[in-house]
Amino acid sequence: MPEGILCNKQVVDTKEKLNALLADKSGKQYYDEMTRLDVDTEALWATIEKTCKSRLRTWLEICAHCGMCADSCFIYLANKRDPKQVPSYKIQSTLGEIVKRKGKVDNEFMRYVMDTAWAKCTCCNRCATYCPFGIDMGVMFGYVRGLCFSHGFVPWELKIGSGMHRIYKAQMDITTEDWVDTCEWMVEEYEEDWPGLEIPVDKENADIIYTVNAREPKHYPEDLAEAAILFHIAGENWTVPSQGWEETSLAMFAGDWGACKLQVESVYAAMDRLKPKRMVVTECGHAYRATVLEGPYWAGIKSGKTPIESFHYVEWVAEALRTGKLKIDPAKKIKEPVTYQDSCNYIRNGGLGDYAREIMSYIAEDFREMKPCREHNFCCGGGGGLNGIGRYRKERNIGLTVKRDQILATGAKLVVTPCHNCWDAIRDLEEVYKIGIRWSFLKPLLLGMVEVPEHLLPREE
Amino acid sequence: MFKKILFATTSSPACDNAAKVAFDLELKWDAKLMVFHVLGVPTRGYSSFVTDVRTGETESIDPDYVEWVTEEMKYTYENLLKDSENSTLEAVIGVPHREILRKARKENVDMIIMGAHTRDEDIGATRYRSVVGSTMQKVAKSARCPVIIVSRPCTTCWKLFSNIVICTDFTKASNSAFLWAAKLSKEVNARLHIFHAVDINAGEPGKVSGQSEIEGRINEAKGRIETMYIPELKDFDNYEVGTREGTPYVEILKFAREKQADLIVMAHHTREIDPELALLGSTVEQVVLRSACPVTSVNHPDKVADE
Amino acid sequence: MYELVTGPLAWLSFGIFFFGLFYRLVWYIRGLNWQMDRVSYTQNMVYGIKGALRSILFWLVPFGTRSWRYYPGFTILVFIFHICLLATPVFLMGHNVLLLERWGFSLPTLPEGIADFMTTCVIVSAVFIICRRIALPEVRILTKPYDLFVLAIAVAPFITGFFAFHQVGSYDFWIIAHVLCGEIMLVAIPFTKLSHFLLFFLSRAQMGMDYGIKRGGMKNKGMAW
Ligand code: SF4
Ligand code: SF4
Repeated sequence: MPEGILCNKQVVDTKEKLNALLADKSGKQYYDEMTRLDVDTEALWATIEKTCKSRLRTWLEICAHCGMCADSCFIYLANKRDPKQVPSYKIQSTLGEIVKRKGKVDNEFMRYVMDTAWAKCTCCNRCATYCPFGIDMGVMFGYVRGLCFSHGFVPWELKIGSGMHRIYKAQMDITTEDWVDTCEWMVEEYEEDWPGLEIPVDKENADIIYTVNAREPKHYPEDLAEAAILFHIAGENWTVPSQGWEETSLAMFAGDWGACKLQVESVYAAMDRLKPKRMVVTECGHAYRATVLEGPYWAGIKSGKTPIESFHYVEWVAEALRTGKLKIDPAKKIKEPVTYQDSCNYIRNGGLGDYAREIMSYIAEDFREMKPCREHNFCCGGGGGLNGIGRYRKERNIGLTVKRDQILATGAKLVVTPCHNCWDAIRDLEEVYKIGIRWSFLKPLLLGMVEVPEHLLPREE
Repeated sequence: MFKKILFATTSSPACDNAAKVAFDLELKWDAKLMVFHVLGVPTRGYSSFVTDVRTGETESIDPDYVEWVTEEMKYTYENLLKDSENSTLEAVIGVPHREILRKARKENVDMIIMGAHTRDEDIGATRYRSVVGSTMQKVAKSARCPVIIVSRPCTTCWKLFSNIVICTDFTKASNSAFLWAAKLSKEVNARLHIFHAVDINAGEPGKVSGQSEIEGRINEAKGRIETMYIPELKDFDNYEVGTREGTPYVEILKFAREKQADLIVMAHHTREIDPELALLGSTVEQVVLRSACPVTSVNHPDKVADE
Repeated sequence: MYELVTGPLAWLSFGIFFFGLFYRLVWYIRGLNWQMDRVSYTQNMVYGIKGALRSILFWLVPFGTRSWRYYPGFTILVFIFHICLLATPVFLMGHNVLLLERWGFSLPTLPEGIADFMTTCVIVSAVFIICRRIALPEVRILTKPYDLFVLAIAVAPFITGFFAFHQVGSYDFWIIAHVLCGEIMLVAIPFTKLSHFLLFFLSRAQMGMDYGIKRGGMKNKGMAW
């Protein structure tokens, strides 16, 4: 069978295709079709010749096979140091082989590549900081994912996810109306407690344009309300766009570069349309990575920067605390031991470690670092889309043990997790391993401790 | 008075009593009944996994599964559905309180009926309390319409109610609760008990108010009831006023019992800023858990006044 | 024979060595693509250079990075091996005598005893490196015959030189073997993994630019390697 009905080399760009995929129970038929999907070896090799250039070739070639990257990889550590999980081995046995065989690989091999690219690497890029040559498996597996995607070897959920981006310009089926309505709804729900609360949609020339993760309007709109309340307390002049409000990119996890481009362009278009001074992204790591760090390149912006300056939520919070826009009631600071989950995407790969520390210095009395931390922190265990892929649930759960032990070693019972994926991974690790911890985004914590100016309090008659 | 009723169920025995009331109301008031079940709590990041509300297990979600749960609901409410004339069944994925509120808002319902969703069986509450909190609590606080919580068997048909207790703390929300209770009392011709409990623990923690101070506050409360509520009743005279002192939820429960209340109506006590932080939950929650009769929580003026 | 290997062949191998490396350099830089690599190399040059220098310098210092500190034993091994491997031939008395004879200039030289010790270091550390390759499962799985072959090319000049210097057996044989091995190594550098002689710097610079430009370098003080 050259191509399956569900599992094929085409992108998902219509609702029919999307619904057909969604209707497939856990991707059963999809994965079944995958076992018979033809590999277009010529196209594969042609792509590699065109895109696998000096940087990647050099990495593949000069890898000294020294194994210094081994201990840097949490998946290797979590799997009892299984040599097959050494980063270098993982890439040599996949991309390395494809290049060596000039693209002449078969279906079975491609499935192995897929399993490796998604279940054995979360693209956390930690190994790159431990390899003397800076060889970055995260980058390479990102590249491999792109190859896999274009040849149809991509986990079911991510095929759906990238399709969502193409169709809805969001990772979930949320239309513009849904989104705007959710904003109104949240104001309705909270304005009684917060008189004057607004979620201004499409306001031009605001100081801040705020963008979110589609899971928030879809399932957790209070997150949006909390953001609004904090902006309200801080007295910010802000807005959300009616279109181009989605920051995340499952397309990035899927390796669907075309969809990545479409997605970020929708956000950049909102910036151009509304002319805000700067953008603030919600507490999501990969969203920041996708739209702020990588996005400009997908969109072909030569400066490598978003059209207006963009900030992660932690940068805004740190700034608001520093400048006194938000004031913490000293009595309400977190008294218990608390630790902070550094997200790979905006800490290691975005350099925002200092901001996180700054925030903790304002809100916590007993802040404990994980070891290692900051740029060198381990992935939560669910990055790179791994949290969401049913096929790799087992592997994901094994990977969580590293984070579990790191948290346990701090003695903290509360983990601050300003990233949706980390939040999930840590929730799941509590569920699987029951170590008795709690975890939270920054917003609810901040709301519990900020001093609310008198004039913003509701007036009781 | 009740044209559209949303029955939010966990589709488990905990909601059986609520189910009976819901279906009864549908028939007696010629209402449209929406039986609504939120089956799984989704993750924050991207994934198709949800935590099943009933089992706490992680399930992978697809249309089949949702359909299967809907089928199951049919089976659960088989008996009640037999007589039902105007009801729909629906199962969705989401955070329970959020989806209930979303549905209520979308359908512009006149009331929400729920089981107690006690913390023990509400996985949202016990396992992720900091995350999902208590569903009932959150629905009660934010819903625009009255929320009726039924935790014990309620044998009296609503049309036959003879005693309705409205507990006020004089907040804006309480006004709405009062108006709704008055309207219902008139409609079914029940006796309306307007009640206020002076909280002796209010003020500084640990400091119990002196007797004369309490008496002063009781008199004040009586005065406020006279001026705020009685005129609203117009020619309806089947009412009485009661005040007590103590811990509000205890007094409310005692009073309701004495008066053989068929229904307690109250506002979410808005002064308790964060119900999540209250060790035992809010007054509403305490009342709900212990009350022998259904409890209605009304917090907003939207579905209260006469159209 | 000696004339041949130290004359035309030497010219040839040095030629290949330099030309090959030059080709590698051009090939590497031309192969970089701002959009595909997702690093705006030229637009943010200053940040890029800063990042590149940090990235190279920290890694050139023994124990200068977390990774070097994480594997102290191996780090010592690697630095001894590389320092001795690079310094010994350049500053060896014999080589400089030859330089002076042919081209009329020479570099500072190492005392013979030290050079001899350093040569031994290269050989001994190579042995340790091989042992490590066999002993550690995470390294064993990566090891291919090619790795040993490349190591052999790199160490062969030292072994032969060592034998020649200590006059073990026929000096003439060893010295010719030594020169040949050296030439093989020079030729091999551009063509094999030994190209990391140059590519180490390029790859590190590239990664440094990535961190200096995109991955936070514009917002923080620089990657804490
Ligand atoms: S640390 Fe770098 S050079 Fe060594 S094996 Fe890993 S990827 Fe290869
Ligand atoms: S990027 Fe992260 S998960 Fe992937 S191989 Fe490197 S350390 Fe392991």
